[in-house]
Amino acid sequence: MSSVVSEEKSRNNLVVSYLTIGGIVILAMMVFGVLMLLAQGGVLEFTPAAFYQFLTIHGTGMVGAAAFAAAGVMWYFLSKYVELSKKIMKINLVLFLVALVMVIIGVFSFEYASAWTFLYPLPAISANAWGVTGALLYLFGMLILGVGFLLLHLDMGRAIIKKYGSLAKGLGWDVISGKKAEKDAPSSTVVASTMVTIVNVTAITAGAIVLIMNIINVINPSFTFDPLLAKNLTFAFGHIFANSIIYMAVIAVYEILSKYTNRPWKANKPFLIAWTMSTAFTLVIYTHHMLMDPVMPKWMLIMGQILSYANGLPVLVITAYGALMIVYKSGIKWDMGSGLIYLSMFGWVVGVVPAIVDATIVVNHVMHNTKWVPGHFHMYMALGACAMIFGFMYYLAKQDSSIKTNKIDKLAFIGYTIGILGISGSFLVSGALSTPRRWATHFPEWMAPANVGAVAGVLAVLSLLVFVIHFVRYLNKRNKVDYKQDDKKLA
Amino acid sequence: MVQIVASITSLFFMLVVTAVFAFVAMKSREKRDYEPIKKKWYKARTFYGTTLVILFLVVTIYTLRELPYDQPVYGEENLPIIVDVEAIQFGWNMSETEFSVGEPIEFHVTSSDVTHGFGIYDEDKNLIAQTQAMPEYTNEVYITFEEPGTYEILCLEYCGLAHHLMIQKIEVK
Repeated sequence: MSSVVSEEKSRNNLVVSYLTIGGIVILAMMVFGVLMLLAQGGVLEFTPAAFYQFLTIHGTGMVGAAAFAAAGVMWYFLSKYVELSKKIMKINLVLFLVALVMVIIGVFSFEYASAWTFLYPLPAISANAWGVTGALLYLFGMLILGVGFLLLHLDMGRAIIKKYGSLAKGLGWDVISGKKAEKDAPSSTVVASTMVTIVNVTAITAGAIVLIMNIINVINPSFTFDPLLAKNLTFAFGHIFANSIIYMAVIAVYEILSKYTNRPWKANKPFLIAWTMSTAFTLVIYTHHMLMDPVMPKWMLIMGQILSYANGLPVLVITAYGALMIVYKSGIKWDMGSGLIYLSMFGWVVGVVPAIVDATIVVNHVMHNTKWVPGHFHMYMALGACAMIFGFMYYLAKQDSSIKTNKIDKLAFIGYTIGILGISGSFLVSGALSTPRRWATHFPEWMAPANVGAVAGVLAVLSLLVFVIHFVRYLNKRNKVDYKQDDKKLA
Repeated sequence: MVQIVASITSLFFMLVVTAVFAFVAMKSREKRDYEPIKKKWYKARTFYGTTLVILFLVVTIYTLRELPYDQPVYGEENLPIIVDVEAIQFGWNMSETEFSVGEPIEFHVTSSDVTHGFGIYDEDKNLIAQTQAMPEYTNEVYITFEEPGTYEILCLEYCGLAHHLMIQKIEVK
């Protein structure tokens, strides 16, 4: 029994490390977000160099940290079904920290500011704003981050194949085809993890190619590449990798809501088909980032719109619907964990609406690269994916220790909800007013929504601070008291 | 205006989503058997899913009828003015900057360094058309100005530290 407990504790130590680092980095990145909004609102004044460095660190750090924390969530639940390597998990942690340090040094010491998109050939052609060292620190940092995640996903893929026979079976294709009964379908956690493994290995491969292309170009600018190919690879990487965060974190929704409501969330055929659709669509819909590149084959752009619409179906018809169904008249006892998890499903679905609208070519023609874009992705990333992560943090703290939440936590829940809705809403209003995104300064008529967003951002930062403090308090507690084994009867 | 339609549509469906989630949350404290709920909701899901697919199909067909990529058909009397646009950190080289109301114009947009975004803004600072300005490629924007005034070209793709200063005025008489 003691060896089981110690194994469990060692496993959870790794997961809490991921969540702690992720939570703190997300909090820090939020501060940069507020500073940028204040600058755009004319309240603060700093140099364009500083603004675009903040922009670069904010985008990179947010996606990196959220992906890192979400990987912790996925690993926590998946390790209950398959045997994962703790060594690989640790290597990913070390590589993530190395990458983080390299990116921070590249951006702040060497003034590298290409935004997270590092669109070729901007890393090499900066109009003398930054040099080779800054660009290489950033690009190699991103490459190292990708290598860490690649190892993690390969290990997950290995473990799933070992237990279930193949990735196809991890997605439940044998159940879809009728070879296997629905009752023997892999769990929702395994299905989601298989999907993420497939899409993220693809994304990281695309990312590694374009990062290496950029690195070669930075070292020797006479080696050039096709900018359109580079752009395709960049968005194939960025879109899939950022999207996978929510698919990793949604595992917490499946596991936690079914536990809180005492209702099973089983993977039936429609569920499995939906996840196969998500796998396929997530891989190919990145072209909706390139709707304003008419040199792309027209059919690819039209498919970008159609498949972006179709990609909304699995979440709208299966996952969100399932969450609503499982909660409806369930007698659920709400607490911070379940509340944030439920909120996250709302955030995801509500964010899908303006995203689908923006994927419409005629709309994109006048809204692409306006603040409409951060408007929708702040909804499903901050109110969706991040709320899943924070909900899981509260859940884990409750499972793992005797820590209690208080009124401040509840206020923080309300503050976070209002704060993120305020930020996203202000972005959407800015987008409707045609305000460009990624601008260091705004014309006076564009400033008001930025300031509203900044105030909402402060509220979100304070609320997240409460979430993080709660988690750190839990860490202190679990280090002091005997370890209480959490409920691992999920399998 | 497209932005208004997009905003109202989004707001409407976002409010519907909010109402549904709020309703379910309010009903969550009641406790009923799951099996009858599942049976009823699965039936409703078939209807909801089908409605959604039909809605997406209708919107897809409607919105794909005319695309900004399609070159207009010009009459012999009304051939377009071709404007060569070259983006460069941090400005715009344009072969012409003065136009007349009603004349068809084709902006042929490229870049001599990094990727930029070619966004055309009207006097009220509304974005009316855009394309990407990429090195080695030429993207085309087809437009006919309907109102006279001073329009502005703004960079819409981050291109370096003076990205927000890449503004070029054009006159339409």
